[in-house]
Amino acid sequence: MHLRQAKKAGWVTLVVLLAVQLIRPARNTSGQALPTDIKNSITVPVNIQALLQTSCYDCHSNHTNYPWYANLEPVGWLLNNHVQNGKKQLNFSDFGSYSIRRQLSKLKAIGSQVQDGEMPLLSYTWMHSNAKLRKEDKIVLINWARQAMDSISVKN
Amino acid sequence: MKTLIIAITVITAFAACNSNITSTDKKSNNTTTVATAIPVNNNNPSKGIVEHYLHIKNALAKDDGKDAAMGAKKLSEAFAKFDESSLTAEQKKTYVDISTDAKEHAEHIGMNGDKVEHQREHFAMLSKDIYDLVKAFGSGQTLYQDYCPMYNSNKGAIWISETKDISNPYLGTKMPTCGSVKETIK
Repeated sequence: MHLRQAKKAGWVTLVVLLAVQLIRPARNTSGQALPTDIKNSITVPVNIQALLQTSCYDCHSNHTNYPWYANLEPVGWLLNNHVQNGKKQLNFSDFGSYSIRRQLSKLKAIGSQVQDGEMPLLSYTWMHSNAKLRKEDKIVLINWARQAMDSISVKN
Repeated sequence: MKTLIIAITVITAFAACNSNITSTDKKSNNTTTVATAIPVNNNNPSKGIVEHYLHIKNALAKDDGKDAAMGAKKLSEAFAKFDESSLTAEQKKTYVDISTDAKEHAEHIGMNGDKVEHQREHFAMLSKDIYDLVKAFGSGQTLYQDYCPMYNSNKGAIWISETKDISNPYLGTKMPTCGSVKETIK
């Protein structure tokens, strides 16, 4: 009796799992850099670019490096949700299209979020240990954001 | 049972190989605007907006994050309710520039009722927006631009107040009267 019930439950789970695999959100992986990419509006030194890429771009750009388990639904849905929300808040691929006011707000927020240890998210660095920012990484990022703000303010 | 396990393994493997769907992103095109003085008219965007901003300001001065979040939600509603169509093209440009940024700050203050310091970070940026809004559209009341030199590791920040007396929203009850009036906005 017990075994039969377990078997039935197993098959139901299997069918549901199978079905949900068919519903896949579009991937956030546009290969080419847009003219609105942050690199085209402010100076982004190579070391900063590398930090942004490993610690921020999965959720804040048009190119996510998906982990293998993103192919398993419903995990993929959850990730997609995360990425869409992250991009809504700040998208480095689209930074150049922001108003100057918004660019300044975003750079300021980058500085304070990194300083306060709010970003990258703990739940993210948990799975991506290489995305963790070391103390010295934080300092260069914060300084870069401040300098970028100054240069935008001077230009406008 | 065995078949079941094998089947699940196969699906997992299949799913892991199936991953090349691309998407393109729509991009919005915001342009920068410089605030220009516009006389107060009947449909003044500052009206409801300033009121709720002051609500947030007074809540932060009391270190009350929950109340600040309530004010921020009302501020978000005021932005959403405002009818842009009554503005001239140039007014609209100024308004959209300011409100796009301000709405985001209001949203964050509204969502972080338990994190007063985070609310203050957004409040500092929001204050700049509200200052520009009031300068561009007027407010129909006397307001004061105050300055706190100590906030943000002595980098300082401004806020807008309806009273001449200082009531500091950044340092709150720790140093309520720290700061000074920089400008009277009529």
